[in-house]
Amino acid sequence: MMLAVKAESLSKTYTGEGAPVTVFSGLSFELEEGVFAAVMGPSGVGKSTLLHLLGGIDRPDSGRVEVFGESLEDLSPRERARFRNERIGFVFQFHHLLPEFTALENVAFPDRIAGVAAREAERRAEALLARVGLAKRGHHSARALSGGEQQRVAIARALARNPNLLLADEPTGNLDAAAAQTVFALLRELHAERRMTTILVTHNPDLAQRCDRLFTMSREGIAPSTRLPERG
Amino acid sequence: MRFESFVALRYLAASRRRAHVALIAKISILGLALGVAALIVSLALLEGFQDRIRRQMMDRAHLRVSPAHGARLADADRVRDVLAKVPGETSVTPVIEGRGWASDSAGTAAMPVRYRNAPGLDDATGPVARLNASASLRIHSGEGETIRLTSSRLRLSPIGPIPVAVEARVAKVTLTGALDKTPEVEVSEATARSLSGVGTGAGAYEARLADPARADEAAASVRAALGDAYRVRTWRELNAPLAFALRLEKAVIFVTVALVILVAALNIVSNIALTVVEKKRDLGVLTAMGATPTSLERIYLTLGAVIGVVGTGAGVVVGVGLSLLLERYHLVPLPSQVYLVSHVPFAVYPGEVVAVAGFALATAVLAALLPSRAAARLAPGEAIRLSR
Repeated sequence: MMLAVKAESLSKTYTGEGAPVTVFSGLSFELEEGVFAAVMGPSGVGKSTLLHLLGGIDRPDSGRVEVFGESLEDLSPRERARFRNERIGFVFQFHHLLPEFTALENVAFPDRIAGVAAREAERRAEALLARVGLAKRGHHSARALSGGEQQRVAIARALARNPNLLLADEPTGNLDAAAAQTVFALLRELHAERRMTTILVTHNPDLAQRCDRLFTMSREGIAPSTRLPERG
Repeated sequence: MRFESFVALRYLAASRRRAHVALIAKISILGLALGVAALIVSLALLEGFQDRIRRQMMDRAHLRVSPAHGARLADADRVRDVLAKVPGETSVTPVIEGRGWASDSAGTAAMPVRYRNAPGLDDATGPVARLNASASLRIHSGEGETIRLTSSRLRLSPIGPIPVAVEARVAKVTLTGALDKTPEVEVSEATARSLSGVGTGAGAYEARLADPARADEAAASVRAALGDAYRVRTWRELNAPLAFALRLEKAVIFVTVALVILVAALNIVSNIALTVVEKKRDLGVLTAMGATPTSLERIYLTLGAVIGVVGTGAGVVVGVGLSLLLERYHLVPLPSQVYLVSHVPFAVYPGEVVAVAGFALATAVLAALLPSRAAARLAPGEAIRLSR
């Protein structure tokens, strides 16, 4: 099976106002296409940073990331942006919907960034919102939605360009148990429907156990994957 | 509509729900509008006065021919004939002028003056004079009163050399204009010749043209006809120092008041920079969705352009409107006994309004460039990570 993601010897250090913080060093990671993988680990070990590096919104200090055989390092900023737009979808823990815009407008953003006409982008966004069960909430401001609804809108937005890789950074971390179950079930359904590769960062062992593959991150690096039993 | 414009306009319009960006933009727009309006009103005020001065310049001679050397024209008749053949010429008059003293009839107030001949003064009932306000005030003589003009020229009398003097009735006092600061007395040609001792010929000849704008062309033909023995000057050359002063004054006013626009531009820089910080997370999310650094830059350049267009537009409307109202209804009166005009004049020239608007717009967009570049350089991962 072809690799969806291949990361080799990644190192990342944040240099802020204080002392430099090395998040990880020499980290390698591989994942085959079509897998729904979970990444677990204590806070601060670099799970979100790993997703950012895999998605090309941050760059490693050293090492190399290939997504579907394309080396992100070899792409220009413009090409990397287009690659993200066409092939990668992000879902964040705090949904990060743009508050000045309605749910529909938020979901239409990736298409509009790609240059799709506003009317067509909104037509597609309506279909996506309907798919995540929010057909009637499209014209509501992002702020007027509940936490679970906001996260479902964020998922719809991540899927707007029909990406091959979905990177979800603790999408259920800020939700109550019921909403978390709904969002996770939706992610699983959409993963299957769209034959994507999905990497889910989570602190929820129950949800992690329900993924195809589980990776555990620690200060020492990312542990070899645990192949979970196929779910029927 | 491009998505960059869509985002920028929404940031501006989101006044009720998310007041920060919209309020910041409104403050920037207000600052720019005030600067533009102030510059337009200042220039209109300046142009209003300068128009009067230019009109005064053109009320005088449009061409003047004087000797290249010496005080008298070598061949005054030839000069007169050449000027009379200039196309568009409306009058040709000799210039008889000199310096002397003017005093009131009692001799209690006296002052040095320039005198010269002027058309429209009739000596049929005795010599008459026209004083400018400066001379009238200083020798305390008004219309109908008699003044004494004493030339610096001497004539021989039975008791020896005595100055040539003439008593003249004041026919009119002209109000002070920008060109009339020095005391001047205008008299008939006969009186001027008597005072100066120029019996025939003239010190110079002046001509007026139907179209003063063609003075350069006319001067060239007169120069060609008369040769190097004569100095031919147009009304522009005669008033060159004043015209230069007027241009300088306009440039200084423009630069000084344009500082208001520059301050408004700095306000735009800081406000857009603040917006970039405020929207850092959104920029990170847009990047994650595939927006390029150029797109992010465009969002803020659009914001700057919208602030520029709205601010400049409002400033133009207020500035032009106010100037036209002030001119139309004479809202700033002046004492008409002292000044040629009864109110502060305002004149709006479309070319200047376009220049001001272009300058303000360009300044606003340039001001947005700096924070826009900062937005384009934003590290999206960090923006998202730090906004948790």
